[in-house]
Amino acid sequence: MSEQNTTALDSEISTWRERQVDAWRRRIAFLKQEPMGLAGILMMSAIILVAIFAPVIAPYEPTETDYGNSLTPPNAEHPLGTDSAGRDIFSQLVYGARPALQIGLLSAISVAFVGMNVGLIAGYYGGYVDDVLMRLVDFAYGIPFTPFIIVLVALWEPSKWTIVGAIALLLWRQTARVVRSNVLNLKEKPFVKSARTIGASDRRIIYRHIAPNVLPLVFLYGSFAIAWAILTEASISYLGFGDPTAVTWGQMLQSAQQSQALARDAWWWFTMPGMAIMLTVISAFLIGRGYEEQLNPELQEK
Amino acid sequence: MTLLEVNDLHVTYSGDPDVEAVRGVSFTLEKGETLGIVGESGCGKTTLAQAIMGALPDNGEITSGEIIFDGQDITHLSNRERRKIRWEKMSMISQSAMNSLDPVYRVKDQIKEAIQEHRDMSDKECYERSRELMELVGLDPDRIEDYPHQLSGGMRQRVIIAMSLALDPDLIIADEPTTALDVIIQEQILYRIKELQRELGNSMVMVTHDISVVAETCDSMVVMYGGELMESGNVDEIFNNAHHPYTLGLQNAFPSVEGEKRDLTSIPGSPPDLSNPPSGCPFATRCPFSAPECEEPLSTVEPVEGHQVRCHEPIPFEQIRNRSGKDETWLSQNQH
Amino acid sequence: MGLKEFVTRRIIQIVVLYFAIATMLFFLFRAAPGDPLAAYIGTGFTQEQAAQIRATFGLDQPVHVQYWKYMTNLVTFNFGLSYITGDPVWGIIQDRIWNTLVLMGTSVILAYLIGVPIGAYLAWNRGTKRERFGVVFALISRSAPVFWTGLLGIWLFSFKLGWLPAGSMSQPGVTYTSKLAQFTSPDFLRHLILPALVQAFYFYSLPALLMRNSMLEVMNEDFVDFAELKGISDFSVMLKHAARNALLPIVTAFAVAAGFAVGGSVVLETVFAWPGLGREMVRAVISNDYPVAQATFLILAGLVLIANFLADLAYGYLDPRITYD
Repeated sequence: MSEQNTTALDSEISTWRERQVDAWRRRIAFLKQEPMGLAGILMMSAIILVAIFAPVIAPYEPTETDYGNSLTPPNAEHPLGTDSAGRDIFSQLVYGARPALQIGLLSAISVAFVGMNVGLIAGYYGGYVDDVLMRLVDFAYGIPFTPFIIVLVALWEPSKWTIVGAIALLLWRQTARVVRSNVLNLKEKPFVKSARTIGASDRRIIYRHIAPNVLPLVFLYGSFAIAWAILTEASISYLGFGDPTAVTWGQMLQSAQQSQALARDAWWWFTMPGMAIMLTVISAFLIGRGYEEQLNPELQEK
Repeated sequence: MTLLEVNDLHVTYSGDPDVEAVRGVSFTLEKGETLGIVGESGCGKTTLAQAIMGALPDNGEITSGEIIFDGQDITHLSNRERRKIRWEKMSMISQSAMNSLDPVYRVKDQIKEAIQEHRDMSDKECYERSRELMELVGLDPDRIEDYPHQLSGGMRQRVIIAMSLALDPDLIIADEPTTALDVIIQEQILYRIKELQRELGNSMVMVTHDISVVAETCDSMVVMYGGELMESGNVDEIFNNAHHPYTLGLQNAFPSVEGEKRDLTSIPGSPPDLSNPPSGCPFATRCPFSAPECEEPLSTVEPVEGHQVRCHEPIPFEQIRNRSGKDETWLSQNQH
Repeated sequence: MGLKEFVTRRIIQIVVLYFAIATMLFFLFRAAPGDPLAAYIGTGFTQEQAAQIRATFGLDQPVHVQYWKYMTNLVTFNFGLSYITGDPVWGIIQDRIWNTLVLMGTSVILAYLIGVPIGAYLAWNRGTKRERFGVVFALISRSAPVFWTGLLGIWLFSFKLGWLPAGSMSQPGVTYTSKLAQFTSPDFLRHLILPALVQAFYFYSLPALLMRNSMLEVMNEDFVDFAELKGISDFSVMLKHAARNALLPIVTAFAVAAGFAVGGSVVLETVFAWPGLGREMVRAVISNDYPVAQATFLILAGLVLIANFLADLAYGYLDPRITYD
């Protein structure tokens, strides 16, 4: 049974692959029509480049203090001014992109991975497995998000990994629910039923057949997860629970508030980091949103 | 007295590509009469009904022709002016009447809404009137307290019919009012509609794909195909003396609920693609009698007074009628 | 099943969930690096206080005894003493809880008051430039972190314009006869506006976009067309039929909003130095005041669950088709 049927399955997949390649071409074409998605991709790419080339772009070390030049407004030497310790704001912003993106992307990938798998397994197997996993999702939903992250990060050490782990531990819940519901739908489709009659193993059906169809949805929620993860990380470091060794935008705002930047009118200090967070988050949302617009008609087709 | 006059109406849906769903239809409706508009799905009859009601979807537009209702040209009325006519003078029972009720309001409130929009009646008066209306359609008046999901499909249909009568409009447009219901209920409702019409004296336009329904309920009829009018006239006249091949084909295809039992022969083939309309008679490709002259644009012929046919008559009508009675004519025809 | 059974079933579910969360917290605290005993007994405690704590939490006992004590304490609202101040934690919570509820409640209500009509408006104007702009602006508002907009708001309205106070909940030194008196005083309201608006600005996009999506679906329904056929004006149709039906899913989203609002209180209250549970929790965590941190977390979690429950009830009430199955 196995040899022949595997080949039959493979040929089914190779035409499926061709269709996927074609589908990707269509998606890229669509994205060009979808200005929001395109804007998002461009912005995000720019920020990623800034993060990668930070040492090249930033004129100063972000931690380099210069008390003689503290709280100077933007000028020729310091394009975005300095903070109360004379550190260059622009350099801090540039370097701040790193932890934001690292945590954002890592969290999103973890969320996507966990969420997708839970959704696939719960949706496909149903019954007892589904019940247990869905109870787990309900449990995750019952926990208030930011407070939980704070507790976890405070109990362990405030490193990047703890933050990523904490975010991933809760945020997978939405992806799981959505994927599961999609799987319930897909399970009844002819291509799954025929795979079963051929005798393909459960694992094969889930990962070779169903999973690829669920990927667009996972990608969508993954994009949103990037946005939320970056916002959460910013909140955490604003509150003081961030990685103390890293320069982050949230932490910049905390310093600003604590150093009375508001009263001292040091607008360059308290507007710029927030602007950076906002632009990064919005680019992730735009990517997701632009993709969603295009995905909806496809989802309806299914 | 002529209540409704449609003159050379053209309706187009804009899109990719544009589709002209109604391609020059004309007819009249006298007061107190019921006119049947019959044809297959896609022939433009629903579009025609919607155009008359002023309920065309956003991408539909009357591109030429006119509709004159009770002496007034209503072809291009603004929404605000339409609203004055809506329900008060002209009401509509649409195909999906069962889904026309808002699930979050009780039946009585929805009837009240229709009434109070146009008349100055108190809540109590509306309540009484609603109960009356329910009785008219044979429903238990206490059911007006119910929510739509508590009523069966047939009952909801009847509620819609009752609502359409609420303001005693001059014209009721019924678009396939019974298609979604089972045959027994269909019978009951058609009967009821006919009775009500006799009692109340409204005029009606009945749109249907089922020619036997027309036979039962209508005084005059119009047969549509491919957006164009094929045959029109008095119902008895057409049933006894049909001229057009399409009409004859339809008569073969539908069982008459009253008439004798017979085998059904549907007309092979499918309606034309109106995004790329045929130049001559739209029925030519499916017609067993078509000839080269059928590619010319159609004109109206009036073999008997009041009975109009649009056909090139490639062979004399006598012969068409005789041969249409035989099943082989339809089954073994050549597709051109 | 009827209303009563539904309510009892949901309550049981919530209680179970709550205990599950509490259990998780229990083991979390124990799994963390550090001395568990030191977690509860502050260095500044007197002998009696230390003994009291030991008794309450059974700190020398094996784990399962501790767990039992933990759970019974939970049910009796006995959260021990603050590590820092030595005050009973429950007292601290009672003092703060209404401050948080009023702030969060106001923010979410404002977010809905702003968001729902905007959502309906955007749906009704589908395809226009206005709609595009509205959607993009909603995304922007969702991307700007609350602590940033809060800071900007404080700078603008307090430091620059001087219209509103720079934070906290009330003027120092003023006392009130009751909480109610405090919450209705003009001074309080002046302090409330900015944080509530900032949070509402962050949140409004959720009800707005949801309402828009819901409306778009509803607008395609036959009964909306039918209402127009009856001659009802556009505005009435939008309001009475489209919006009313579109609201149903929004109500459940309220639970999500409430959940995030409660969670977000940790940030909002810190920015504005608002004396609520969120700020208290942050303080407690920073200063390793475990009893307070634990208790505030559990209370916040409880509030989220209650909000979810209320949303379920409301949904059932609004949709006559639901029969509490």
